[in-house]
Amino acid sequence: MKNLISRIGQSIKLPGLSFLMAFTITGIIIALSDEKVMNKIGSPIEFLKSAGASVGNAYLALFQGSIYDNRLAKSNFIEGFYPFFETIVTATPLILTGLSVALAFKSGLFNIGAQGQFIFGAIGASYVGFHFNLPIGIHIFAAAVAGMFLAAIWGGIVGFLKARTGAHEVILTIMLNYIAGYFILWLLKTKTFLRPGRIDPIAPEVAESARLPLLAGENFRIHAGIFIALAAALFVWWLLTKTTIGYKFRAVGANSQAARTAGISVPFVITATMMICGALAGLGGAVHVLGSEHALNADVAGSLGFDAITVALLGRAQPLGTVFAALLFGALHTGGRMMQSNTGVPLDIVVVTQGLIVLFIAAPVFVRYIFRLKKLNASAALTSKGWNG
Amino acid sequence: MKKSLKLIAIAASLTLITGVAVAPSAQAAKIKLCLALDTGGVDDRSFNQGAWAGAQASAGFADAEYLAAASSADFAPNIKAFVDKKCQLIIGVGFAISSEIVKSAKANPKIAYAVVDDAGADCDANFNCKPVKNVKGLTFQTDEAAFLAGYLSAGMTKTGKVATYGGAPYPSVTIFMDGYVRGVDYYNKVKGKKVSVLGWNTTSKTGSFVGNFSDQNAALTLSKGFEQQGADIILPVGGSLGAPYAAANEKTKKALTIWVDTDGYGLLPAGKSTLLTTVVKEIGASIKSVAKDVADKKFTGASYVGTLKNKGVSLAPYHDLSSRVPGQLKLEVRKIRDQIIAGTLKI
Repeated sequence: MKNLISRIGQSIKLPGLSFLMAFTITGIIIALSDEKVMNKIGSPIEFLKSAGASVGNAYLALFQGSIYDNRLAKSNFIEGFYPFFETIVTATPLILTGLSVALAFKSGLFNIGAQGQFIFGAIGASYVGFHFNLPIGIHIFAAAVAGMFLAAIWGGIVGFLKARTGAHEVILTIMLNYIAGYFILWLLKTKTFLRPGRIDPIAPEVAESARLPLLAGENFRIHAGIFIALAAALFVWWLLTKTTIGYKFRAVGANSQAARTAGISVPFVITATMMICGALAGLGGAVHVLGSEHALNADVAGSLGFDAITVALLGRAQPLGTVFAALLFGALHTGGRMMQSNTGVPLDIVVVTQGLIVLFIAAPVFVRYIFRLKKLNASAALTSKGWNG
Repeated sequence: MKKSLKLIAIAASLTLITGVAVAPSAQAAKIKLCLALDTGGVDDRSFNQGAWAGAQASAGFADAEYLAAASSADFAPNIKAFVDKKCQLIIGVGFAISSEIVKSAKANPKIAYAVVDDAGADCDANFNCKPVKNVKGLTFQTDEAAFLAGYLSAGMTKTGKVATYGGAPYPSVTIFMDGYVRGVDYYNKVKGKKVSVLGWNTTSKTGSFVGNFSDQNAALTLSKGFEQQGADIILPVGGSLGAPYAAANEKTKKALTIWVDTDGYGLLPAGKSTLLTTVVKEIGASIKSVAKDVADKKFTGASYVGTLKNKGVSLAPYHDLSSRVPGQLKLEVRKIRDQIIAGTLKI
């Protein structure tokens, strides 16, 4: 038991400290960018007081906007959790795209292509969602599978090309992201996908029968997608730790030459990994469309595919870590909304915070140096190794 | 304890006195005006910025706040946040946000809504639309002002080629391009010239688009492409998309830029010397007027349409380039404007 606690302590020490540093620096930025605070620079005590108030209000708004806001709890306390439900809605697609990137890390691959895979997942799910009339349940399943299938092919192309020709997956995925981004723009101009009466790039809404059920009634957007995301995290954990194929993935990730010598087919592992990664990110796109957006537009992926890289890094490529990292990013994003409207701190500051957290996570040596920590945790090396897989 | 009670009593009576004293001339309490912005940020030097400026100009009768959207997934939660904050007037800035505004308006019939660049009607899957009582559509006949810009460009071009492109094919964007092309066509008809417009075809409704309103590099590539094809006047329609080209052009002076939405002169960090004019769309003024209506309790869902006549759209001054525009052309542009206002010229 004591051993377990110390192990958990070990594994959250680095993210925790990175967190602390990121929030400290963000606090300084918030204070220094606030005119009311800077006007008091003449008297140090007043300055510190108003700086404290400014930062305190901003972080309070961040909390109220992402976890619990008692002002919203009118008839019962559940309503106060509206911000937390929003956090989960935002985090759901991020968990799935994050898992996609994390799984690739484990096989020593750098999947920058979650964005493109996400887009194809959204396309597949949207098409099945608005074009067919199927019974409830089957419709959701068919739409999600269609999205995963398209995205798995999109990811599989990368794996196949890398396995066959040795082309670098980073270049491949980045280029395929561009292709996916412009493909969806074109697609939304075609008769099949353009919503009747519109000329701007937006598809018809998916049928009611294809929408993921809402978990807390009409007033909240939280939908069953979170269970799909958690199930996917469980699946990735099971795949990596309990199956032979997962063992092969990890073996190739640790040392592909040694794995080949041991008789593992590296090309197969690379292709299979990229297909599963594609399917995961594609499921993210499907859940996003079927759960909260309901219609495909050119902007459907936002920056979800790129945030996924950060989320996977922050989660240290572990399924559970990725879930928590995605929740954190979801919370920062939704909380940033309240921070922006209540205290006038621009949403960009939230992005700065995210950037700082990742910066410190990705530079463990720096954080260890600052806090005089001794041992380098083994898995930290993996996430900072990256590029050459 | 007693002391604090006394203080409260004093404070209360003070408020009463001042309240009574001010009462005869007092305005109604300020309304809470909330802007749900489009993507591109509040400082896009164009669309969102113009809207926010209008909201700030309403300070006399409204306390304004805004939420920027990072992507279209933010639209619905941003509006919901405003509903929870008890905003009395929620304005969706941009065509793309319109359907979310309508959804929220139907759920909250007591809140006043407005949407910039769309009629704010409730449309079903087959595009059968009906108006919503508490949504005011703020739309603009920007083609009237763009027509003037087209005529002006046709009169100014030396290569016989001008160009336009948009951020995304929204009706609010293509209406600029339609008007611009028709203005050039009108010049050709009147003068017997053959000035051509790259980037937009009014009959097939196809043309060049960046695909979004934020990728300035893609916009720069498009602008450069048109420059290489010989266009010497370019009208980019889409927030701040044209800014890098306008800045780069300051040195090369290959082409003139026409800005959109808010007068680009003084707004753009660089590019003044090649800024011909701006097709102005007074988003700010329209927002101020609807906020005033709500404050005066005169709000209705009847649409507002900005035209040359009601000064909702206009052509900005030529600023630094005024000396390069021939006097005769200036006169003609003014004459056409008057004809459009009088209704004698159908564009």
